[in-house]
Amino acid sequence: MDPECSQLLPALCSVLADPRQPVTDDTCLEKLLDWFKTITEAGSSLLLLQENPCLLGLLCHVLKPQDLSPRVLAFSLRLAGMLAAQEDCFQYLQQGELLPRLFGEAGPLGGAAWTAPSVRSGWIQGLRSLAHHPSALCFLADCGAVDTIFSLQGDSSLFVASAAGQLLVHVLGLSLQGPAEGHPGLQTGDWPVCAQKIVSHIEESLRSAATPQITQALNVLTTTFGHCHNPWTQVLWVRLSPLVARLLEKDPVPAAHSLVDLLLSVARSPVLSSSSCGLWETLAQTLSHLSPTQAGPLALGILKLQECPQALRAQAFAVLLQPLTCVLEATAQAPGLLDSWDGTGGASVTVDTLLASKAACVGLLCRTLAHLELLQPLPQRPSPWPQAPLLGATVTILRLCSGSATPTSDAGGHLCAFLVGCVRVQRAALDFLGMLSRGTGPRELVTQVFAVLLEYLTSPDSSPTVLKKAFQATLRWLQSSPETPGCSDLDPHAQLFLRELLPVLPKRLCSPCWEVRDSGLEFLTQMIGRWGGQAGFRRALLASEVPELTEQLLRDPESYVRASAVAAMGQLSSQGLRVTPASPEHPGGQQKSLLAELLHILSTDSEGFPRRAVMHVFTQWLRDGHADVAADTERFVARVLQVASQDLDWEVRAQGLELALVFLEQTLGRPSSHCPYAVTPPVAAPPGPLAQALRPLCRVQLFEFAFRALFDCDRPVAQKSCDLLLFLRAQTASYSGPQGSGSVPEVASVEAALQRWQAGDQGQPLGYLEPEVVVAVLRSMDLEGLRGALAESSDRVEKSPQSLLQDMLATVGALGEDEADCY
Amino acid sequence: MPEIRVTPLGAGQDVGRSCILVSIGGKNVMLDCGMHMGFNDDRRFPDFSYITRNGRLTDFLDCVIISHFHLDHCGALPYFSEMVGYDGPIYMTHPTQAICPILLEDYRKIAVDKKGEANFFTSQMIKDCMKKVVAVHLHQTVQVDDELEIKAYYAGHVLGAAMFQIKVGSESVVYTGDYNMTPDRHLGAAWIDKCRPNLLITESTYATTIRDSKRCRERDFLKKVHEAVERGGKVLIPVFALGRAQELCILLETFWERMNLKAPIYFSTGLTEKANHYYKLFITWTNQKIRKTFVQRNMFEFKHIKAFDRAFADNPGPMVVFATPGMLHAGQSLQIFRKWAGNEKNMVIMPGYCVQGTVGHKILSGQRKLEMEGRQVLEVKMQVEYMSFSAHADAKGIMQLVGQAEPENVLLVHGEAKKMEFLKQKIEQEFRVSCYMPANGETVTLPTSPSIPVGISLGLLKREMAQGLLPDAKKPRLLHGTLIMKDSNFRLVSSEQALKELGLAEHQLRFTCRVHLHDPRKEQETAMRVYSHLKSVLKEHCVQHLPDGSVTVESILIQAAAHSEDPGTKVLLVSWTYQDEELGSHLTSLLKKGLPQAAS
Repeated sequence: MDPECSQLLPALCSVLADPRQPVTDDTCLEKLLDWFKTITEAGSSLLLLQENPCLLGLLCHVLKPQDLSPRVLAFSLRLAGMLAAQEDCFQYLQQGELLPRLFGEAGPLGGAAWTAPSVRSGWIQGLRSLAHHPSALCFLADCGAVDTIFSLQGDSSLFVASAAGQLLVHVLGLSLQGPAEGHPGLQTGDWPVCAQKIVSHIEESLRSAATPQITQALNVLTTTFGHCHNPWTQVLWVRLSPLVARLLEKDPVPAAHSLVDLLLSVARSPVLSSSSCGLWETLAQTLSHLSPTQAGPLALGILKLQECPQALRAQAFAVLLQPLTCVLEATAQAPGLLDSWDGTGGASVTVDTLLASKAACVGLLCRTLAHLELLQPLPQRPSPWPQAPLLGATVTILRLCSGSATPTSDAGGHLCAFLVGCVRVQRAALDFLGMLSRGTGPRELVTQVFAVLLEYLTSPDSSPTVLKKAFQATLRWLQSSPETPGCSDLDPHAQLFLRELLPVLPKRLCSPCWEVRDSGLEFLTQMIGRWGGQAGFRRALLASEVPELTEQLLRDPESYVRASAVAAMGQLSSQGLRVTPASPEHPGGQQKSLLAELLHILSTDSEGFPRRAVMHVFTQWLRDGHADVAADTERFVARVLQVASQDLDWEVRAQGLELALVFLEQTLGRPSSHCPYAVTPPVAAPPGPLAQALRPLCRVQLFEFAFRALFDCDRPVAQKSCDLLLFLRAQTASYSGPQGSGSVPEVASVEAALQRWQAGDQGQPLGYLEPEVVVAVLRSMDLEGLRGALAESSDRVEKSPQSLLQDMLATVGALGEDEADCY
Repeated sequence: MPEIRVTPLGAGQDVGRSCILVSIGGKNVMLDCGMHMGFNDDRRFPDFSYITRNGRLTDFLDCVIISHFHLDHCGALPYFSEMVGYDGPIYMTHPTQAICPILLEDYRKIAVDKKGEANFFTSQMIKDCMKKVVAVHLHQTVQVDDELEIKAYYAGHVLGAAMFQIKVGSESVVYTGDYNMTPDRHLGAAWIDKCRPNLLITESTYATTIRDSKRCRERDFLKKVHEAVERGGKVLIPVFALGRAQELCILLETFWERMNLKAPIYFSTGLTEKANHYYKLFITWTNQKIRKTFVQRNMFEFKHIKAFDRAFADNPGPMVVFATPGMLHAGQSLQIFRKWAGNEKNMVIMPGYCVQGTVGHKILSGQRKLEMEGRQVLEVKMQVEYMSFSAHADAKGIMQLVGQAEPENVLLVHGEAKKMEFLKQKIEQEFRVSCYMPANGETVTLPTSPSIPVGISLGLLKREMAQGLLPDAKKPRLLHGTLIMKDSNFRLVSSEQALKELGLAEHQLRFTCRVHLHDPRKEQETAMRVYSHLKSVLKEHCVQHLPDGSVTVESILIQAAAHSEDPGTKVLLVSWTYQDEELGSHLTSLLKKGLPQAAS
């Protein structure tokens, strides 16, 4: 602890101990604990206490009967626990009997303060920190803490109850650290008293008729087996598994969700899954006992396991597939391969669930689709993967939702009534359909996929969120389409689809919802990026209204859309797909160039997103040597930098520096390593003297921009500029000719300007700088030092412990009536 | 037993990140998804693991509702939807949807880029999150699904702020978000109809405060600004881009006009245009005065307030500058502050709350020597003023809203425990309703008695109408019918229709009573005497003497029999159906009185 903080601490402790001085901001106490945690983790807690006796004073003081704020009491409990985590400090606190008074019956536990959840939480967190050594275990036993933890598992506060469960797991682990670790054969009867007590409590809870108690016990076991893989966990599971299995005999199965979590946690544990205590049988039994909705997560968990009996995997997969089988059957389609997986019964329960009510049907289908979506990309997914029936079922569900499927049975009619227009199922099905694009399917099914996607993209009933997902799924399917051998073009099938899709896109680009226009543009940008060079796509796109509409969207009222239109236009232009309409209103020659249009957006748009998008496009154009840029690169860079340097959005200024860096690389040569700022000679330095190489940079006024940016009030801009100048300095080192021989008065004037800027003055522009002056200034600057200073976050000072202590002390008595003020 | 459950994950006995989980009629709704500006790590967000443990978020939650654009109500939304994985619908008003991304973007830029924080949402995530939003209009009932519906009410506070009613069947909850019961210069007062929800969840920031007159505060503010400008000083007002800033702009603009002041007023970072755009777009959300005068003059097109350029800060002479951000923790406001802090003629007015660690917090708590970056110490000589212009309902306003909505229960959030305790007692005393104030993580459970809708058959209704009484909603009426429960539906039909629909045969239930008569005559004669007596007494009824000797009055059957032990006594067996219960009882009591003496 630094001396300034040591000086402030006594005053703060007396403020905290004074009930007349309310601590208004609880974040301060949290931050104070964070600080103490850092100190105690780095050094001796005992020393901390001895050097700062005020801390001990505070802990003793909070025990006096007084109207102390629950926050301060909770803080003190947590602090005491944190300090007592080190055994010598624990002993020191024990000498004064402080710990039993804080955590025992005589402490807050028996007082009125206990009604505050924050105090109960502080008590648990304190003990959680404290319980790190054998002496702590004896202490817990002596002060009867374990019984209190048991009761807190059922606390009215979720936070307290959950923390109590976790503490119990921690105490169990701690108590078994020594004895049972060394002797895996040791039975629970030989375990330490504390561990036995906890195990008995868990057993009692598992036998209970009350679901909350069963849930608590299951959660404790789940956390235990999830975090601890010591041999003793096997002994524990052997003892408790019969009780867990007995839960399956009840109807309905209590705490099903927690039971699933526990069984999966056991199955994932390397110690437990290898033991032969009937785990797989229990899992199989659970799968068949739970309702289809409850069994889904278990089935998915089983299928994700690396090692698992094949029969169980088959059963689990059947559970996941059943709802889709029902859908196919209800619409009079052969379930196909799904049949082979679905051999374990339970289908009637699934049908009942699907047909029971709309909510049940929607819930089960959404869950099933989500589970299968998660399973599809996994290497351990079931094999053979029934791609075709799954595609068929998903397409059918989407058709039932859109109302285009014709139900042929009563069940189908019911499903249709439940699903028609259901956005939730549409979204889930489109997500899954997109994921299925990773596999192949029979030609006629793929045709159906494209048909249903087109139906959704065309339908006026599709909601914006559904449309977005339909666009995403479409893109994935197009990307997965096989390319025609030899010509890297889309296959005829996808081309046909594109021809149908492109007339739909203009409607979406004219949608009254900005979300739809934006999703349409994002889709378009990705399409152009992928297929912009392909003849078939180019023809179809140019024949549509899409390019023209995209250009119009540069003036959209919604800034997000304008930004997406900028990105799309950038792509169109890069690929030579920007049309020049020859209509009377737009005579070809007079059309404003896109470059001018984008520059206009950069200088006038009131929102940051479109301006940032423009900078992104410009940087890309410069990199790719876009024709409009290549015509007069220097002029282009000069104009862009001039506008970007004035921008109020620092991200635009930072992107301006990015563009400057690209220009610099093109002028002087690229860096050789991945780190653009590494001090290494360029791979291919252009020949000629340095001054000549730097002259273009001077002409575009890159240095004025970079030097100003060095003292930008926004740190990332300054950082980027610093890196850029460091890179430049390194580059210049490898050049021949006179270096840094600028005239002294000129250099001094630039340095003076830099000092003024650093002090916050704006000052006059530097005007044209000679390369020699630039090099001299660069050499004289402490750029490394500046980079070091900038590397620290800008609120480093504000976040310091000293600042925290000062703020807490200054707040005392400073706040008036509205101390709980907010926005 | 059906119930409503409420668990605050944030705003339970604190003013931090509002996030309240409500479970109603089997539906789960998240009210607000706010961020705590006081933390720089994961603690700034509500702990969503308490929801994810229930399975997939999108399956568990039916919707998220955002009350307004302040970050303590919406700041965690992109994190929740794009990083934690919620993919369901998000509801908010149109202005909130438009303004939310601006504030989120501002915050992101400070958090991610300035402080170099990783694991934070990106610009694209903010956009993707906003695309999941379903924007709602005021008083529009929006069907989230077949059972869950929501409706927005005007809340004042900031542009687009709304209170939301959440309804499933006959059960409902109203969540106020932040609201203001008194109109200000650009917004109206919150209003809700007498919707009588089962539960009203209300903010309680100023639970114990009766705020001084707004006029006084405004006068004080103007006086201070005026004095500083008169003495040639510069005035810095750090604000957040949208919200209170516009209120203060209108205030200064009007004052400058009236006093014919010449000192320039600037608003930083191009936000005037942006704000102006949104206020024009959502003019219907402003107060009546602004709406009325909008045609002649848009109040947000300021004559005296100009866009600020960084170079202006060095200009000589007085000026007033509104600059962002509002807590002096970064950007332009901090830069200007550093320039001006050393001059005692200058002034900074903090119009809102500042979290610990910010320069705003430090100067408000009286610190005058601030350590800045690079070990520089900044001496603050400029005048520092704090004037809260946050627009929350005070204790009186909260009571007024409770009175307006007439809830069955009240639950307090977004306030301090001690103050809540006071207001809780006041509400319970005055309105005789239960009031709750759960801490974060605590669940309040309210049992409800839902009304179950029952369909009534047209036939039955027509039969009722035929009796000549017109239905009147205020006068409940007795109606006989048979309740059929089929396919989770309830229908009330006539008994005949019920028998027909269910394919059941009708059973008749008869009551039988024995009446002892002293009559030594033969049974037939006694029966004859009964017939004559009833015929004479019950003139309006059909009394018959049947060939088998029994007597009938409508459906009531009377038979005479000899007493087994006493030959001087006859036993009359009276039997009737339950439809003739009234007549049967009357007849029995009549016969119990005995028969008149026979004429000799």
